[in-house]
Amino acid sequence: MSKDLTYAQVNRDVMRPLFSPGMAWYGMMGLVGAGLAFGAFCWGMQLVWGLGVAGYHPPVFWGVYITTFVFWVGIGHAGTLISAILFLTRSRWRTGIYRAAEAMTIFAVMTAALFPAIHVGRAWQAYWLFPYPNQRQLWQNFKSPLMWDVFAISTYFTVSTVFFFIGLVPDIAAVRDNTRGLTKKLYGAMSLGWRGTDKQWHHYMAAYGFFAALATPLVLSVHSVVSWDFAMADTPGWHSTLFPPYFVAGAIFSGCAMVITLMLPLTKLFKLEAYIHVWHFEHLAKLCMFTGGILTYAYGTEYFVAWYSDNPYEWAVFVDRVVGKYWWVFGMMVLCNNIVPLLWWFKKVRTSFMGLFLVSIVINIGMWFERFNIIASSLAHSFDPGSWAYYLPTYIEIGILIFSFAWFFLWFLLFAKIMPSVAIAEVKETLRPPLKHDQEAAAK
Amino acid sequence: MSAHALAATGTPVKAVYKHLDSLLQGIHDLHKAGFRDFTVLSPIPRHEIEEIMYGQQEPSPVRWFTLTGGILGGSMVFSLASLTHSNWPMIIPGGKPLVSIPPFLVITFEGTILWASMFTLFALLYFCGLPATKLPKETEDPRFSNDCFGIVFERTGAHAEKIAHILQNSGAVEVTGGGTHG
Repeated sequence: MSKDLTYAQVNRDVMRPLFSPGMAWYGMMGLVGAGLAFGAFCWGMQLVWGLGVAGYHPPVFWGVYITTFVFWVGIGHAGTLISAILFLTRSRWRTGIYRAAEAMTIFAVMTAALFPAIHVGRAWQAYWLFPYPNQRQLWQNFKSPLMWDVFAISTYFTVSTVFFFIGLVPDIAAVRDNTRGLTKKLYGAMSLGWRGTDKQWHHYMAAYGFFAALATPLVLSVHSVVSWDFAMADTPGWHSTLFPPYFVAGAIFSGCAMVITLMLPLTKLFKLEAYIHVWHFEHLAKLCMFTGGILTYAYGTEYFVAWYSDNPYEWAVFVDRVVGKYWWVFGMMVLCNNIVPLLWWFKKVRTSFMGLFLVSIVINIGMWFERFNIIASSLAHSFDPGSWAYYLPTYIEIGILIFSFAWFFLWFLLFAKIMPSVAIAEVKETLRPPLKHDQEAAAK
Repeated sequence: MSAHALAATGTPVKAVYKHLDSLLQGIHDLHKAGFRDFTVLSPIPRHEIEEIMYGQQEPSPVRWFTLTGGILGGSMVFSLASLTHSNWPMIIPGGKPLVSIPPFLVITFEGTILWASMFTLFALLYFCGLPATKLPKETEDPRFSNDCFGIVFERTGAHAEKIAHILQNSGAVEVTGGGTHG
């Protein structure tokens, strides 16, 4: 942070975009509206005509929807990683970016949560996933990884949302004190009447530390549990103990890339350069380089294990991914996740706006293809050669994929409009407090 | 000096500080004069305020709620899974026991974290008095969420003037109530 910043300046700068977000914001909302309309049409078609409008055919019944579900859960990792783990390790670079990253997490998990409902076709019966008492003896199997997933995602969403909201309360109170009329009343209700008393801060700081400590194992566990959706099955290409760390590294890799994709334009648009600068983005890029390295190692290990296991079915899937019909998916994955991010090893690239922005987008494309590569290519090339198939998504599935991005950006843009994108109180904590001693020294 | 028990009478007193060191001086002077029943307001948490106000006291009791929630949540969710499988047994090939620890540990872990978080949230709301509806009106000053610190006495008994005097001498830029303005 700049040394010249004052507490009052922080309030002014961070709150400015809340009341006048600018024309670019409205332009982006227009695009989001178009995406939502097209996606809603596609989903509507599927609700009316059934899952037949998707590209599913035997033996591939997990496709774009599950790919997109895993993609968004992965995106949802970076926010809590930045807000909880970096809070406990006292990393200074988290302060400027953690609020928007946390918001990204919540909205990414909200987006992911749509996909089990979309994927089952009869979305109105998605509540069957939850363990509720009923008279039909439809009790869930708690030994199933799909059930674990319901618990993992809902716990992650709840804890992340609480953590996010608790972090927001003092800042919402600051916004309340800068507004009037109905707006003041609304922010007043959301701030829960927070006043910043010594008693409030005393318990708040204790609780905040506990939330961070509780959220930390969740960050590492959620994508491990998601990976068991695959690894617990005996499908070749899925049945691997490597999956949990491999998925967690991939999730942090894609999540941090998405933070860069979102925060770079947000910083420019809302003129927040005094709070978020290249230094923050470079740290995010370095985190991507580290987790990207783990991911590349995991890709190599997967192939080694498949070859060394001497299991013909396993090896056949891995060979097919490279030279079979899905070669282009594998190619996109390697190009976007292993080759292009190497550009960030050059300081010049990882400290330039375009270098950061473009590579982060490429990583996100690559990580979607990685999940598609794991899911579709394994199912399409299972044990029985007679059942091998080639699954491609239909325009309905692509429309729903677009819908997911529009839905996610809708929430993110609304957040940027109505909530402080930078944590006001925490930014002030990093500044030197106003001291009479300093004032007197300056006067001399 | 022994602490003054302030009767629920007297004018409320509010002091506004521009500087943290002046605020700390004010708190120190009040403690020295035996006044402890007041509220400090700050736009950010400062460990100096925490130390001077709570230095001799136990850490926040929120931690016991977190622990209780975690233990309760883990037990509840493990019981849910075990009782469900015992009451509606699914015969799974391979001779696996109905109540099987490793697969149940996953949701037990999730239940532990979820309940610990919920208990922490409720403890936070309870101890912070949120939603806050009964705080003194003097605390409702927009400067306290911006760039100023404050000390508020809701009741001053017969000491209003003395308190106002201490606050003013410690460097407050504004003291209201207690017969002092400015």
